[in-house]
Amino acid sequence: MSTTHPGRTSERLSVAPAGKPSRTFEQQNRRLRWLMLTPALGFVGLMIIFPLLFTLNLSFTDAFGAVNSGRRYLGLQNFADALSDNRRFWPALGRTAVFTVGAVALETVFGLAIAMLMRKAFTGARIVRTILMVPLLATPVAIGILWLLILDPTSGIANELLQGIGVPRQEFLGSVSQSLGVLMLIDVWQWTPMMTLLLLAGLSTLPEEPEEAALVDGASAWQRFRFVILPMLSTTLLTALVLRAVDALKTFDILYATKGPGGGSDFEVETLNVYAYGLTFDYQEYGLAAAVLVLFTLGIIGVVVVLRLRSGRTTS
Amino acid sequence: MSTATATRTAALRPVVRRTPWGPLRALAITLVCLVIVAPVVWMIAAGFKTNVQVTDPTVGLIFSPTLDNFRNVLADGEILRSMGNSAIVGVVSTVLAAVIAVPAAWAVGRFSMHRTGSLVLVARIVPAISLLVPWYYVFAQIGLVGSYTVLVLSHMFVAVPLILWIMIGFFEGLPVELEEAARTDGLSAFGAFLRIALPLAAPGTATAAVLAFISSWNNFMFALILSDETTQTMPVTLFTFISYASTDWGGLMAAATLMTVPVLLAAVFGQKYLVAGLTAGATKG
Amino acid sequence: MTSRRTALSRRALLTAAGSAAALTACASGSGAVGPNTPLRVAAANHVWSNALRERLPEFEQVTGRRVSMQILTADQLSSSYNVKLNASAVDLDVMMMRPLQEQLLFARNDWLVDLTDRVADPAFDWADVQDAARARSTTRDRVLSVPVVTERPALYYRKDLLPDGPPQTLEALLEQALSFTDRDAGVYGFVGRGQRAPAVSQWSNILYSFGGDFTTPEGRSGIDTPAARAAYTYYGDLLRRAGPPGATNMSLEQTMPIFAQGKSAFLIDADSVYTNFTDPKISKIIDTVGFGPWPAGPAGSVPYDIPSWSLAISRFSRLQDDAWSFLQWAAGPEKVLEIQTAGIPGARRSAWADPAAVAGFPPELAESMRRNIENGADHDRPEVIQVGRARDIVGRPLVAAILGQDVDAVAADAHEEFTDFLVRDNRQQEA
Repeated sequence: MSTTHPGRTSERLSVAPAGKPSRTFEQQNRRLRWLMLTPALGFVGLMIIFPLLFTLNLSFTDAFGAVNSGRRYLGLQNFADALSDNRRFWPALGRTAVFTVGAVALETVFGLAIAMLMRKAFTGARIVRTILMVPLLATPVAIGILWLLILDPTSGIANELLQGIGVPRQEFLGSVSQSLGVLMLIDVWQWTPMMTLLLLAGLSTLPEEPEEAALVDGASAWQRFRFVILPMLSTTLLTALVLRAVDALKTFDILYATKGPGGGSDFEVETLNVYAYGLTFDYQEYGLAAAVLVLFTLGIIGVVVVLRLRSGRTTS
Repeated sequence: MSTATATRTAALRPVVRRTPWGPLRALAITLVCLVIVAPVVWMIAAGFKTNVQVTDPTVGLIFSPTLDNFRNVLADGEILRSMGNSAIVGVVSTVLAAVIAVPAAWAVGRFSMHRTGSLVLVARIVPAISLLVPWYYVFAQIGLVGSYTVLVLSHMFVAVPLILWIMIGFFEGLPVELEEAARTDGLSAFGAFLRIALPLAAPGTATAAVLAFISSWNNFMFALILSDETTQTMPVTLFTFISYASTDWGGLMAAATLMTVPVLLAAVFGQKYLVAGLTAGATKG
Repeated sequence: MTSRRTALSRRALLTAAGSAAALTACASGSGAVGPNTPLRVAAANHVWSNALRERLPEFEQVTGRRVSMQILTADQLSSSYNVKLNASAVDLDVMMMRPLQEQLLFARNDWLVDLTDRVADPAFDWADVQDAARARSTTRDRVLSVPVVTERPALYYRKDLLPDGPPQTLEALLEQALSFTDRDAGVYGFVGRGQRAPAVSQWSNILYSFGGDFTTPEGRSGIDTPAARAAYTYYGDLLRRAGPPGATNMSLEQTMPIFAQGKSAFLIDADSVYTNFTDPKISKIIDTVGFGPWPAGPAGSVPYDIPSWSLAISRFSRLQDDAWSFLQWAAGPEKVLEIQTAGIPGARRSAWADPAAVAGFPPELAESMRRNIENGADHDRPEVIQVGRARDIVGRPLVAAILGQDVDAVAADAHEEFTDFLVRDNRQQEA
């Protein structure tokens, strides 16, 4: 993963001016870098390691009601309960997968397309990049509320526009069957610019020769894209994918802001994150919630590992 | 690179091609921009409408605007206070996060300590809820739940890995020679960091800080659970607005617009740096 | 330039450290309790809270204790209690809570102060409180809350559309609602809660009037009985065929405006929210809104009549005596009478017997309330510790009915789930 820089010579011995104590750069650096790193490591460690261990511990108990009420150890019972729960857990996992794969796939495809459109200089490029940043810097809660207004079945502009082109009125977020899809599209609207910017950055570092060579050889635009650009872009693409996938798996704000607790009346947008939230704060079933969270975290790690492995295979 | 290729590529770079694709491309890009910007424009416009106009779908962008919604929102003590809270928590958490993350990024970037660096980035993977229950259990024992402290700490938890991620890339890109030169001139290692590396990374630090502030400004879940009525931040206030005032869409959109203003300003003025910050580390793999 | 940078960063460090220290000091300063510490009251967004808020200066003058009242939505209030009480927070004194929703859980967690001795104070006149309300305020022989608002359903209807008066049976209601529905014109026969958990409490009226209940007398799941299925199907038909689109996303906040704008012939919800329709600022139907008693189902007219909101004292409060003074004041005979006269139904017999107080309600509403109290059942949701989960379980067939899915299949599955749940919940109750 690291790019080795020529000239990174932390091992270089100092030519100490006469009379100075001869601690090498190396030794000084070693002490210093750990000193510099410790606060961050310490903070993150404290804020993550202890809580994670606490949650892991909770997942083996029947903690319920009050956090510090007495609890018994159940071994892996909570995990068994979660994994055998076909009513809430597996559907939640399914929705998480559908939402993530669907949204991230669309964001990648659109992102790539827009990046390809924008890669060569043009007038107004700065303005376009500024516009691109707006959805991904805006508050997800505000975005959720905004789309609630736009998509309101009776008073929203979306249905008005649809009727204008002859499409019947839709219930959008008021409908049980459409909600997850609609929220996926909202997520695509919000995060495609992120993919675009990431891929643009990647595209700008690509060498021009291979493309020029392919052009000279008579390759069409599509062939150039598919066989020259895409392979060269693969590292950036996969990094962007990992980044976006991890965030998409954990999506919470727009789901909660638009559908409230429980992911809607028919649990239609209840992803694992929303489910875990409900278990913790609506049901107070801390033990089961902890087990679900452990499984969820393992899942996210799994996704990252798989994507990283694929990245390794493509570049080697 | 052969002279022939060099000349050829030089001749081909960076002319804005006047190909037949030009107008089509312009059209496509314009379309994309419209799709992105239209909802935001709608939100701002709705802030200037009366409630009757907002809920009337036939009223588009041509209407006589009113400042009432903004006046009401700004006169609402609760909203002002929660904006203040968002600002306080954002600034403090960003500053503190920068203080501990920038030196750490220097250490990781300069000395290629990537494995240790990755440990900190693990923070990005973990779902926040798995930390919330233990957090407030512990903070409860110290009596800090509902305070600014707990909000700042939880926002720092997001800001530190973010700043780290961006700054590692910047520090990696800094030529080592400058620091080495300073060292041979008698500067301590820390001095080299402080007087050479840090100033050079100032643009990166500013970018990372702005992004960290924005992520704190937008943070919803931590404030949802850990804040109380005096320390509530804007996203939570906005969320409660929906339930209270389900018919006051005008006020809601005005509040949402006010909330998005810092973001818009950052995008307009800091575009170049923000894009660099957002994409930092992506090309390094 | 380098030295300036160094100075800057050193200063920044000091400022950051200083502000962090200051913040910590602020936070931990809340430990001490003095005469200036406000009494913290957490309340839900309800007409009662607004009425009480106006009268706070009275209390502050008499006791010399400032009151800080925080008003949240019901969901947020629950969340807030969850967080604060789990954390043994001391910045919560008086809690406005729903005894039917939360008392069993809070009691099990030992979060509420035992008020049994305090309510024995003759000035408080505990015997004046209605039987059912007193029963619900007591868990395992300990009084843990005092009721301030009671609630029954009201059949809100449009007098101009129904000159002959409201329907007396559920069957007639469905018929009439369907006759008024005209989707294209944006006019609906009926509007009511369709969101899974909130709808359960309103649906309970229908369940009881069909002869069913959430649990059988033996304590087993009752949602698979023919009565329950009929009740699910009835409400599903009502909302699906006569209601607005997106009904499954609607709770009180969304249904009220629809009725208040004159777009629906009927609305079913709590009687305590009627002021929303008599307020000229938000209602277009102040002259035409009517209030009917609960219609009769096959098993008669059996609405719920419950203490919807009560006040309790947090066990971690450091101002328990002042908190009790607040409860005495807000839930005492005098204030309840005053607030009932202002149109908010309380739980005291004396207030209900007082003609001036009854005159505070629109006459038709007062009459329908009287009839509902006579026939009323004392719960509007499953009587378990984990009410949240229970409502989600028994609400599933309801949503299925509204969506037009196979109610029988979903009810059977929900019945299985509810049975398992009841076993676990009973174990918790005994623990």
